[in-house]
Amino acid sequence: MLTREQEEQFQQIFEELGKSLDITEAQYNAAVKSYEHAGSWLGREESPLAPYRPEISPQGSFLLGTSIRPVHEDDDFDVDLVLRLNGKPYNWTQQSLKQAVGQELRKHGTFSRMLLPEGRRCWTLQHADDAHFHLDVLPAVSRAGFSQIKDKLMSVAEMEAAVDLVFGITDRTTSNYSTSTNSLDWPQSNPFGYAIWFEDRATVRARQLRSIMNAIKPVPAFQPQKTPLQRIVQIWKRHRDIIFNGDEDKPISIILTTLAAQAYRKETNILDGLVNGLNRFTEYIETRYDNRRNRMVKWIANPVNPAENFADKWPEHPEREEKFYKWLAQAKKDIANVTEQRGIHRIQQGLSASFGETAVNRAFSAIGGQALCERESGALRMAAGTGMLGVVGRTPVTQHNNFGADE
Amino acid sequence: MNSLSIAQQAGALRSYFPDSRVTTTAAYALTWVASVTPKPLCDTYQLRLHYVLGHRPHIFVVEPKLVLAPGWTKLKHVWSTERQELCVYYPKWHEWHPGLYLVKTVVPWASEWLYHYEIWAGTGVWHGGGIEHDEEQGKK
Repeated sequence: MLTREQEEQFQQIFEELGKSLDITEAQYNAAVKSYEHAGSWLGREESPLAPYRPEISPQGSFLLGTSIRPVHEDDDFDVDLVLRLNGKPYNWTQQSLKQAVGQELRKHGTFSRMLLPEGRRCWTLQHADDAHFHLDVLPAVSRAGFSQIKDKLMSVAEMEAAVDLVFGITDRTTSNYSTSTNSLDWPQSNPFGYAIWFEDRATVRARQLRSIMNAIKPVPAFQPQKTPLQRIVQIWKRHRDIIFNGDEDKPISIILTTLAAQAYRKETNILDGLVNGLNRFTEYIETRYDNRRNRMVKWIANPVNPAENFADKWPEHPEREEKFYKWLAQAKKDIANVTEQRGIHRIQQGLSASFGETAVNRAFSAIGGQALCERESGALRMAAGTGMLGVVGRTPVTQHNNFGADE
Repeated sequence: MNSLSIAQQAGALRSYFPDSRVTTTAAYALTWVASVTPKPLCDTYQLRLHYVLGHRPHIFVVEPKLVLAPGWTKLKHVWSTERQELCVYYPKWHEWHPGLYLVKTVVPWASEWLYHYEIWAGTGVWHGGGIEHDEEQGKK
């Protein structure tokens, strides 16, 4: 059982851990600059896409504010983007749209060199320099009225309207990829609706800054302050990456994000949210009858489209389901182990094993730096009786210089 | 500044730490033994402070045995790793002098030292400030 003071100290530790998983502001700004450059190119006057006012915006973790650094920090992180056209030529199929976007990218000297071979759903722009990220651009088409709904939702979040932010996307593996010209028959996606739902789940105070929706504004700004839910998602994603480094069957981010958000009860303390949430994850995994397979399957519903199952790969890949439950059990064990430790160095050791030494070391170095700053600013005090340091206490910790070198 | 007497120092230590043990030898020396927990999640440490009028105060960690950060063979900022004697101020600058209460100086400094020791033991980097004899001393 933790005391309130111990919980508060864990809050500082997990907040710093979250910060140390964040991509840097410089990386963020470089990524935004790069995709906006691609967006202006694709929408320039001479582009055949121009009449449909293409808009490029982040989706997924970059939009949700839950991006994390790769475990090996020299590896790339990916920025998921939607290139959304407001309507399209009537005779265009998914294939026409995908190819038109590819052709425009190839006309640009830099982008043509960055372009990787065509992906299943996206075009990928790979930075050759030391930027350490790549852009996954998903071509999409929205229906008339989409922009008005989106603009309205920027100011007032209404979950009922969020479901209307759905649009058609391209996927080479669909049977009507080169035949259907009706974008309603294309695969559908609703990343902005999902983001509104996530932001609603994450909001602790009613008048909180609408930080997530700001990310689909023309020039999104780096957000150093994150909600507890954003930190929780970052922490679980990193734990997953450490446990299953490189394993293709690891639990996917959208599953961890959705379950964490469903299980979240507005805890302001990250550790509370981590522990309480894990115990509720399974409440949001339903068992539903699958018409296509004629049997019961595990179902993790997309909150803005309950007919979509984020666990739809589990029946064909039972090892993914197994690994999800393995991860869940490990997460419970690891978090319990960390909370039982006393001694900052032992807590650090426990966290390093679960979340990676580099990130955890950075977090504790920041905590050490903060403590020195507190004393130097005159804000650090010592309590009588226990000798405990904090902002309250009977005597201030005055200035001094540790010395001595065991000679 | 006038020196504080042993009785004044002992009285202040007792007042701040009622559960501690203070013993005095006539009017010239004191020994104080107390437990401190620098932060809610830190270990609890037993400290022993020994002070003789006219000499610098000595402060030791009695228990537990302190660990070394990965890659280090000695503790940082101590007079002695073996005796676990902490060095919490720079003598040349008179940050401590006999006119200052031990309980308002050396004791909080030791508590702060212990917090930074735990962070050092985990990260291998001393973040608590101070003056280095030699940056690389004590490193493997």
